[in-house]
Amino acid sequence: MLSLILLMILSLIAFLITDELILKLKNLFINAGLYGIDLCKTDKNKIPEALGVVSGCVFLITCFLFIPIAFGNGLMDTQHFPHNEFAEFLAALLSICCMLLLGFADDVLDLRWRYKLVLPTVASLPLLVVYYVNFNSTTFIIPIPFRSWFGVSVNIGFLYYIYMGMLAVFCTNAINILAGINGIEVGQSFVIALSIVVFDIIELQGDQYKAHTFSLHIMIPYLATTLGLLKHNWYPSRVFVGDTFCYVSGMTFAVVGILSHFSKTVLLFFLPQIINFIYSVPQLFHFIPCPRHRLPKFSAETNLLHASRSIIIKKDMNVFTKVMLQILTLLRLVDFTEDNESITINNMTLINLFLIKLGPMSEVMLTKKILLFQILCSCVAFVIRYPLATYFYDK
Amino acid sequence: MGSIYARLIKIKSFGNGLMDTQHFPHNEFAEFLAALLSICCMLLLGFADDVLDLRWRYKLVLPTVASLPLLVVYYVNFNSTTFIIPIPFRSWFGVSVNIGFLYYIYMGMLAVFCTNAINILAGINGIEVGQSFVIALSIVVFDIIELQGDQYKAHTFSLHIMIPYLATTLGLLKHNWYPSRVFVGDTFCYVSGMTFAVVGILSHFSKTVLLFFLPQIINFIYSVPQLFHFIPCPRHRLPKFSAETNLLHASRSIIIKKDMNVFTKVMLQILTLLRLVDFTEDNESITINNMTLINLFLIKLGPMSEVMLTKKILLFQILCSCVAFVIRYPLATYFYDK
Repeated sequence: MLSLILLMILSLIAFLITDELILKLKNLFINAGLYGIDLCKTDKNKIPEALGVVSGCVFLITCFLFIPIAFGNGLMDTQHFPHNEFAEFLAALLSICCMLLLGFADDVLDLRWRYKLVLPTVASLPLLVVYYVNFNSTTFIIPIPFRSWFGVSVNIGFLYYIYMGMLAVFCTNAINILAGINGIEVGQSFVIALSIVVFDIIELQGDQYKAHTFSLHIMIPYLATTLGLLKHNWYPSRVFVGDTFCYVSGMTFAVVGILSHFSKTVLLFFLPQIINFIYSVPQLFHFIPCPRHRLPKFSAETNLLHASRSIIIKKDMNVFTKVMLQILTLLRLVDFTEDNESITINNMTLINLFLIKLGPMSEVMLTKKILLFQILCSCVAFVIRYPLATYFYDK
Repeated sequence: MGSIYARLIKIKSFGNGLMDTQHFPHNEFAEFLAALLSICCMLLLGFADDVLDLRWRYKLVLPTVASLPLLVVYYVNFNSTTFIIPIPFRSWFGVSVNIGFLYYIYMGMLAVFCTNAINILAGINGIEVGQSFVIALSIVVFDIIELQGDQYKAHTFSLHIMIPYLATTLGLLKHNWYPSRVFVGDTFCYVSGMTFAVVGILSHFSKTVLLFFLPQIINFIYSVPQLFHFIPCPRHRLPKFSAETNLLHASRSIIIKKDMNVFTKVMLQILTLLRLVDFTEDNESITINNMTLINLFLIKLGPMSEVMLTKKILLFQILCSCVAFVIRYPLATYFYDK
């Protein structure tokens, strides 16, 4: 208990330091060439990019400083020091630190798209090793309705490690593609992190309390430093967070999900990101043309955002695309206009979907609505995890 | 990508333990993880320094921060804060002295020293990578010798880190040797310094590591008058290149006679007596060589080409490593028992 209180004090200091450092260092980023232009504004000011590295570093250092406190009891009595828990914490920090490094390098060097899949996998390695050493549990428990087909549980062996490696890749990129309007990346991560913290606090009373204390030791500093970043990234953004932030956040969620054994719950908190990913599949796999940027279009006259669009040339359409368009129209999931040569369809992201369903709106209103949706989905996740869980699992 | 190398080695080296997870050596695993965490953190902060061009004072803070995991794991696994006094001084200090938490200050400073010591012996193609390579090679040789002793576990740990370091540094040297097609940045000095500090601390031979740093220590002491501004210190102190002769000459700094205080005057007299400087004077000013080891070589051995100068300094580095081995082995019996 005491260590958690000290952690909260430490995290409060971390929030203040993040806030202060971002203010002090943002010009250094512009001078180094790390900046972008806000595509949803009329002014063309240079906005510093990749500030996620600042909150990430403060997060990491806060965790370093917390190590002696977290293991304080063990430090008094080095005969019975919990080396395996210590190794767990160090491996978690190593994966996050590595991800922060590779993510920042990606922002600076502008690495190619394929690296976005490789880097998180590489950074997960310490995690996988420590999981093997400490737990090596590769058994999935089957939900009750499916047990007649699969049995009570299935041991998928090394496939579980593939799953864990992919978890980091998925989390990082899922956050990265639900992006483009001020504050959305940091906002969604903050809601997910808060959901995890609430879940941890509830589970502190159960028999997995050790695992959830471990999760809190990582999530509380993360929450504090992310809040410091949000303060500067909320509309109108004075800093951009870069891919660095998405990398660090995704890895942090994957780390706590894996080492505290609730990766399926973490994925439940990722519902909006999963929806956005599925909705994006036609464009990600090029059934429908995918432009470089799919963020909404800003109209200077009305000061509102409209869904951005992509053009399909009718001559080039194959049968898959035609079938897909018919299904999507039936489900009322797209909005398009056609003429003789082409079809102009909305870019298929969750953000554009909100715009075609709810009409054009201001940027800050759109961000708030999507974050409200994120909070709603987290509530749904809790319902699935708790009351509904008894339908799927025993005890 | 050195840290990824080390990570792959880690999986192999703990292979035995992975087969038998009941007796897995968690404390050794934590040691290796903490070492990698400190190096990874230093790599991150060093790269951020190169990209953002942070101010000078951060060069002292960042290595200390990155050392934290190291200090915690040292406390947990060993917590030995006793210095053994060399025999000649035992009449004053006793056989050993326990300096308590000061040992942790010493370890924190070790990383700061190693990183910056490499960073200021710089300026000519290949010198930073070259000197680090020689130091690393010396550590590997030392580890191999010590594998036969009773500290073989600690030295195996050191080899697990130094061998990937040596390999990746060699790959870098291939592109950085004269004429340099790439520069290494402060990032390299940070990572190297931290790697040496890590193996020195966790394998208990930090004093030997410092012995391998003899040229860097000499360069640092010789730089003190300028680092502490007794003599003016320009932004860059690297040698001056002469396009006509294609040779390097010692670069110089100008002292205005009116502004000289008594310390500077006394210092100049001592340095002239020891023949450690070369200067010319006129009525208003004294023009003195910039006080770095590289410039010292140039004023003693005369102007020479850049690649020749680099080779000579690396030869000096190798010589100092040999001297270090002599101090560590034969001479050690004069200073310590057994």
